[in-house]
Amino acid sequence: MVMNGSSGRKDAGRDNAALDALIRDAVRRAPEPVPPDGFSARVMAGLAPRRLSAMARLRLWLTRPRSVTFTPLRLVPAMAAAVVLLAVGFLALERVNAPVAMDSSGQGTLPVRFVLHDADASARAVSVIGGFNGWQAGASTMRHDPAAGVWVLETRLPPGDHEYMFLVDGRPVADPQARLTRDDGFGNVNAILIVNGRHEHML
Amino acid sequence: MDESREAEIISDVLQGDVQAFEALVRAYQGPVYALMLRYVGDVDVAADLAQEAFTRAYARLETFSTGKRFFPWLYSLALNVSRDWMRRNGRDRHVFMDDAAGMVRVEDRPDERQAMDDQVDGAKAFDHVMGLAPKYREALLLRFRYDFSMQEIAGALGITTSGAKMRVSRGLEMVRERFTEVNDGHER
Repeated sequence: MVMNGSSGRKDAGRDNAALDALIRDAVRRAPEPVPPDGFSARVMAGLAPRRLSAMARLRLWLTRPRSVTFTPLRLVPAMAAAVVLLAVGFLALERVNAPVAMDSSGQGTLPVRFVLHDADASARAVSVIGGFNGWQAGASTMRHDPAAGVWVLETRLPPGDHEYMFLVDGRPVADPQARLTRDDGFGNVNAILIVNGRHEHML
Repeated sequence: MDESREAEIISDVLQGDVQAFEALVRAYQGPVYALMLRYVGDVDVAADLAQEAFTRAYARLETFSTGKRFFPWLYSLALNVSRDWMRRNGRDRHVFMDDAAGMVRVEDRPDERQAMDDQVDGAKAFDHVMGLAPKYREALLLRFRYDFSMQEIAGALGITTSGAKMRVSRGLEMVRERFTEVNDGHER
């Protein structure tokens, strides 16, 4: 740390504004420690490819910012075309957002099937925990199918996005087959199950 | 980095172009690594935590609101990573940076008394900032080093906008007090 007595009484006489300016300047100009060599490569090496649904990719493609240029003479036909596109898009959205048809049970839920492969039969007990059962261990116990070498849970869930993970002998395990995942901020990866009316479920 | 460029990169990443994310890592690795170093005081741990921050940002990129600046969002995640580490390790220490990273070498400039005094004062001021409690230190750094708006500071630190204003104001006040105390002390 640098200390020097030469600054003396003049500093005490500085008014607050001058001192604030000095502090701001010092904070702005102070050197920043440099990350170790190869840091960005190290970060990139640890990233897995993203898993996104086709719908999510389409939505992102449609919402990607783009530069648009036009000339005044072309504005009128362009606006007419835009109106037509908006109308078509609105009608399409109306269809997409249509209420999910109630199933025969009348509960508004849809059948879903969770599967965890365990060909070696190494697990003793497996269950599914997720937002739909309050992340309660044991609330949704899976049954073992030795012939298929899998653990299975068949249940019903309401339409929407459901985060979940498996609990294998008490240990949280991310679904290795999940197409969409989300970091829970606590070092675990939750799978996301999308249940909607047109597709029974998507894992 | 320009906001529209950031939005394009984020869109590319979300559509599966993992490598596009490296541009964001390169752009912000310095401040994120510096943040971690301030909290943990160890270069290896700081690098690990900075990596974790970027990994977490990548994993949660869908939740980023386009139209906002990426850096405040990233900084908020990085702060949470550092806090998680502090909790796991039972630590809440204030880390002082030695010599403000070598900002001043008085003996190198013997003929420039005024410039030397200003630099010494600047180094002292920065040391005082680094010596503040993290909540004030980070508020001052976000405001004056990274040009965050008060709203962005509030978002990054998880407080209200008025709380952010209070922290910046109080932080400045504490640095002024310490600065004056030290110099008065030298006079006596």
